[in-house]
Amino acid sequence: MGIVACQRCTKAAPLGTRTCDRCGHKLQSRDPMSLQRVWAYWFVGLLCYIPANVYPMLKTQTLFSTDESTIIGGAVELAHHGAFGIAAIILIASVVIPLAKFWAVAYLAVSVTQPTRVSNQRRQFIYEIVEYIGRWSMIDIFVVAILSALVQLKTLASINPGPASIFFALSVIFTMLSAQAFDSRMIWDVQTKRDSAT
Amino acid sequence: MTQELPEVSVSPTRKVFLSGASVVWIIPLLALVAALFVAWQSFNARGPLIVIEFENGSGIKASETELRYRDVTVGVVEKVGFSEGLERVTASVRLDKEVAPFVDAGAVFWVVEPEVTAQGITGLSTVLSGVYIEASWDDFPGPAANRFQGASEAPLIRPGQSGLEIAFRTAANGELTDNAPILFKGIEVGRVGRARIAPRGNFAIVEALIYDEHRHLINGSTRFWDTSGFSVNIGPAGAEIDFSSIATLVGGGITFDTFVSGGGVVQDGTVFDVFPDKESARNSLFNASAVDPLQISVIFDDNISGLAVGAPVELSGLKIGEVESISGLVNVDQFGDSRVRLNANLSIQPARLGLPGDVSAENALTFLESRVVAGLRAGLASASLLTGGLKVELVMVEDAPTARLRDDGTNLPVMPTTKNETSDAAATVEGVFTRINNLPIEELLNSAITFLDSAEYLISNEDLLNTPADVRGLLGELQGLVSSTDVQNIPVSLNATLVRVETLVAQLEQERVAAKLSAALDGAASAAGAIETSVEGVPALIAQIEAVAAKAETLAVDELITELTALTQSVDRVVGTDDAVALPGSLKRALDEVNYTLQELREGGAIENVNQTLASARNAADSIAVSAQDLPQIVDRLTQLFAQASRTIQGYDKGDQLSRSVQDALRDIQKAADALGSLARTIERNPNSLLLGR
Repeated sequence: MGIVACQRCTKAAPLGTRTCDRCGHKLQSRDPMSLQRVWAYWFVGLLCYIPANVYPMLKTQTLFSTDESTIIGGAVELAHHGAFGIAAIILIASVVIPLAKFWAVAYLAVSVTQPTRVSNQRRQFIYEIVEYIGRWSMIDIFVVAILSALVQLKTLASINPGPASIFFALSVIFTMLSAQAFDSRMIWDVQTKRDSAT
Repeated sequence: MTQELPEVSVSPTRKVFLSGASVVWIIPLLALVAALFVAWQSFNARGPLIVIEFENGSGIKASETELRYRDVTVGVVEKVGFSEGLERVTASVRLDKEVAPFVDAGAVFWVVEPEVTAQGITGLSTVLSGVYIEASWDDFPGPAANRFQGASEAPLIRPGQSGLEIAFRTAANGELTDNAPILFKGIEVGRVGRARIAPRGNFAIVEALIYDEHRHLINGSTRFWDTSGFSVNIGPAGAEIDFSSIATLVGGGITFDTFVSGGGVVQDGTVFDVFPDKESARNSLFNASAVDPLQISVIFDDNISGLAVGAPVELSGLKIGEVESISGLVNVDQFGDSRVRLNANLSIQPARLGLPGDVSAENALTFLESRVVAGLRAGLASASLLTGGLKVELVMVEDAPTARLRDDGTNLPVMPTTKNETSDAAATVEGVFTRINNLPIEELLNSAITFLDSAEYLISNEDLLNTPADVRGLLGELQGLVSSTDVQNIPVSLNATLVRVETLVAQLEQERVAAKLSAALDGAASAAGAIETSVEGVPALIAQIEAVAAKAETLAVDELITELTALTQSVDRVVGTDDAVALPGSLKRALDEVNYTLQELREGGAIENVNQTLASARNAADSIAVSAQDLPQIVDRLTQLFAQASRTIQGYDKGDQLSRSVQDALRDIQKAADALGSLARTIERNPNSLLLGR
């Protein structure tokens, strides 16, 4: 077909054109560095995710005591107090979804180079979910930020973000970058290759 | 359309992947480097883990309790656990790296808790924040150690703190208070630690720190005393309550003074005695003798109560020592009997004797030996009249039997004794009280009460009450009688009678008396002659008289006395009988009878009777005249009777028993009088006894 679409303004141009004549974006049929970026960001995201779970997320200071709780520790504590619903939400939003994203991105990145039994449509669907859900992962940071802003009663009681919140935010950011770096067209390249092979 | 689409070269990703790394890999690499750097840095900054063992957890919490040095956090407890066998609590503390080199074997750790004591409130901040572990170590790095024993309380002297470290020991009756301040003129110059009992239990000991800037105040002759509590003195100036300050009143305190100069420099570790008060502290300075006291023993023959351990030993009124111990002593071989003797061991301060030259126990003993040869003896004397306490007095005895201070080298030298000079006052008073106790006061009072009852009954008898009136009536009648004309006429009648008697006598004279007298004289003469002739019979008569006298001598005077006594008793009984009580009535009746008789006299021609009587008298006179002839015989009989009576009376005089009985009787009477006297005094002192019957 010999046509390449601009990734920014989607204007099609004949193959071999270097830059988009409408928006000036570099035209490329496939991003050769896509997978490398995916893996690089994925790796940083995972690296940040470890301290995000080890260090305390919230520092709660009351008159008599200072309480520091990690994400999982806080959820467990809530569960101990009977708030299973909230504990479940925290666990899902802060643990299950990030881990699922790591898994999904890694799976997609692997699946474009290795033969897979999962259909291309399903993998495209996974990619879209990851893309969509990524921004909501920041909800934890949002809650921490709001609490820290609201509860500042000097010595009586105060809530401050712990070091984990920074790492968690970084982890989310890098996961999103990783997902964005993935060129979803590669999903279909495998199909093309398989078709041409047969 | 046969237009061929140009072949699109789809460059495979693999090729690109293999062709070279993307620039984006720098980001994870940087992240990794950063993470590794942070990890390495935090690991590098981590200090060593030390383990401190405590008696109990006392609020230590993992990852919360801090370790502080000079109130700066230098570590955090990471783990709280138990030592093997759950004997102690172990706290694992992560130290900060910069202090780690200083935490050597000399470091001290203790838990700071809120504490309320008499000295004040400490650790108040830990009420809210929770306890923390306070640490203390010196300023020099030492070989690392990682296992420590936590102290149960803050150490008195923290490493690195300088000062004079001394120890206090309680003197007799002294007390020590934990953590008390050491005050000098009201300023705290040191502090006392936690007191403990010496191993043998005979005193308490406590270490103390005099702060460095005040250490020059202490020298060898400094004396410490306890200022806790208060003293109350009641004297001529009124009551006086004395205490140092409220703080020491509550929490105790120790103060000191250097009464004399010349004390040596005090080294760390010197032990000072703490005296109960300033007076004893001052005294101790002068009492203290560098030499050992001289021990001698005294054996007193009498076991007198009142001598106690600590009683003074005095020589010429000067206290030279005290009684150290008292015991009983039985030594048949030495004393020859098995009586218990009082053995007192005396402790004599040689310095008190004021001996010239070297002051030593040997010198003192030599001195005492020479004095004993001169007559020095030990004796017990009253120390106090009130308490009856005794003291040992060494006194010079004039003409004392020879004695020496026995010193056989093995036992204590034994001092000879003299008569004890215990005060007689106590004994006398005691004797008086014993006598009073023995008085039959109960019986006496009982008799007195019955006697008084009887007397009361007698006095309250109506008959007796009427007696005075009767007597008055009687007197009135007597007056009436005397003032009656008949009685007044008696002298006239008497006069007439006498005139008649005179005439009668004149008649007698005229008629017969002269003749009869001459005849009587003749008779007398012949009687004299008869006497002369009968002189031969006189010796026999005298012998007879003597026999009579002897009989009189052997008269059973004893029985007489017995009978007299019995009679007296009978009289006693009679007096006690109802008849005696009824006596007033009889008396009244007798008086009535007298009265009646007098009335009869007055009414029944008494004058005539008198006249008749006088006539009889005249007849009697006549009879006298007649019987005058018999006069010489009567005179003889009277003479004999008088002689006999005289002898009898002599015999009575010789009756010692009688006189003794009389004396006894007199004594009894006197006793009775005394008893009555004491009864009267008793009643006077205590009138209630009459009512109460005792």
